[in-house]
Amino acid sequence: MTMFGGRALMLGALCLAAMSAGAAHANAYREKGKVAEVADSAMTVTPPRDWNRLSAKPGKYAEVWTLDGEQLNDVTFYGGVEPGKPLVKERDKKRDPLPKFTASTLLIEVPELLEGTYRAEKQIGGFTLTGSKPAQFLGREGVNFTYEYTDQDDLPRKGEARAVLIDKKLYMVTFDAPRLHYFDKALPDFRALASTAKLSK
Amino acid sequence: MKRALTAACGALALVSPAWAATTAKPAPPPPPYAGVYQPKGVDEIGLWQEADEQERALANSPLVIRDEALTAYVKNVLCAAVGADRCNATRIYILREPTFNATMVPNGTMRVYSGLLLRVRSEAELAAILGHEFGHFEKRHGLQDFKAGRTASDLLAWGQVLASMSTSYNVRRSFNDLQLSVYGSFFRFNRNQEREADLVGIGYLNASSLRPQAAARVWQNLVAEFQASAVSRGLKKPRFNAIAFTATHPPEEERAAYLGELAAPEGDARDEGAERYKGALAKWLPVFLDDQIKINDFGASEYLINRLAEDGWTAPLWQARGELFRARGAPRDLVHAADFYAKAVALEPDLAEAHRGLGLSLIKTGKASEGRAALERYLKLKPDASDAPMIGMTIGSVGGTQ
Repeated sequence: MTMFGGRALMLGALCLAAMSAGAAHANAYREKGKVAEVADSAMTVTPPRDWNRLSAKPGKYAEVWTLDGEQLNDVTFYGGVEPGKPLVKERDKKRDPLPKFTASTLLIEVPELLEGTYRAEKQIGGFTLTGSKPAQFLGREGVNFTYEYTDQDDLPRKGEARAVLIDKKLYMVTFDAPRLHYFDKALPDFRALASTAKLSK
Repeated sequence: MKRALTAACGALALVSPAWAATTAKPAPPPPPYAGVYQPKGVDEIGLWQEADEQERALANSPLVIRDEALTAYVKNVLCAAVGADRCNATRIYILREPTFNATMVPNGTMRVYSGLLLRVRSEAELAAILGHEFGHFEKRHGLQDFKAGRTASDLLAWGQVLASMSTSYNVRRSFNDLQLSVYGSFFRFNRNQEREADLVGIGYLNASSLRPQAAARVWQNLVAEFQASAVSRGLKKPRFNAIAFTATHPPEEERAAYLGELAAPEGDARDEGAERYKGALAKWLPVFLDDQIKINDFGASEYLINRLAEDGWTAPLWQARGELFRARGAPRDLVHAADFYAKAVALEPDLAEAHRGLGLSLIKTGKASEGRAALERYLKLKPDASDAPMIGMTIGSVGGTQ
């Protein structure tokens, strides 16, 4: 890279950062007791307490809610991921592909799919699935699983998720929070929220 | 911040020089060791202080693999290459990160990534990379470029102000990427520095008990892996920026050629320490391989598995290949996956994970009853597996006994 090219690139990156910083995020309020549609899908929840919905979506099928702020206690809804699609948006389809949900993916493989997505998207090595068991989700037999990982910021995080396959589509809700303090604190809120999830036809 | 400096120092690492050696002479032995060095002048003292701060954070990082035996082994390889007096100046941290990289910071912190350990096959190959790193360290290249590129840090200061105004984690992550490219640009060594580090690095090897010819092979293998990755992704060109800082200069092939010339011919008969290396890594190899497979780079992973299998296929290698194909999940992949798991099971009938993979692959290819039997075997071998209840449910859902 020449010095000139380098400068141009850096300035470009700065402008991007400035624009993102300047644009106010239109995050939304999700009021206690009011039915809310999530992830532009047939999935709805009735939050037992107030939540915030972040406007930045990780992908076509996903939507993030939080209590205290992004990365502190994130609930991510995946509403009806279709076969052949990744869970979240790929940064570069060709050069950095993510694992895809397929028509033959079994329920027991959903935790592996999430693991592969996190590892590939975050380029991390430390991810462990700590347990999985059958559990009801959206009124059907699904899977409830837990995991731990350390993101590139070196902060150990824990996660818990529920997932179910309906008509060859994947519906899932995950909870990710730092292992220290935040995970245990908001876990009951996540479970209460996830248990209100319904599929409206 | 820590990541940024790590990345910055990554520039010390595997930057590709864009020159080809015109000389066919072997690299000279290293100069006498100058002894313990202390930083001089405001720039160097500042750089060291920052590096000390990063090292304190690194020592507590959950990404560091805390295996005394492995760390001591890697340090021994470095010592064997550069000599005991030199290597005492370094602290080695092995990081669990599936990329080909190793870095050394001016204060003597050496980071070795697990992806590098997965890819090199002998003590001589590892010593070639670590020796090159040590060459930058001994010549204090980081400082020279730091002075030259100081304006870049002004840019970073502004970038940080802007990024901190944003509430989004992703913008802050972009700032980290910006740090990476800015630090990268001023830590990128110039051709003479690369030439010097390679010369010094091979000089260590020539003077050591290890075979210096191994250095060229590391780069040849890396080129082949990049090509395999590109082919499987349908890219026209291999992706040399898959590892930081090789983005703009991709002449690994040239490098392999001149490193071959710098190696002392009389060293050709020396031991590479391949068996010792294999023994020391045995415990970790399946873990590192698993990390590699799960970053979803099919071509590169398949290449690495096949290369490891050159010494003979083992059950963990068949198992890893099965996982790789099952993860991609096309119908033809599932048939192959079942075949690979079956080979793993044939070699090692008690390898529980292979029975699991075999069972799931068979179920997905329509062989439910055989699949059920494999899953039942998995549960028998590993009754308290973390996914045992789900396996039980899967067995039940395909019309089993439960």
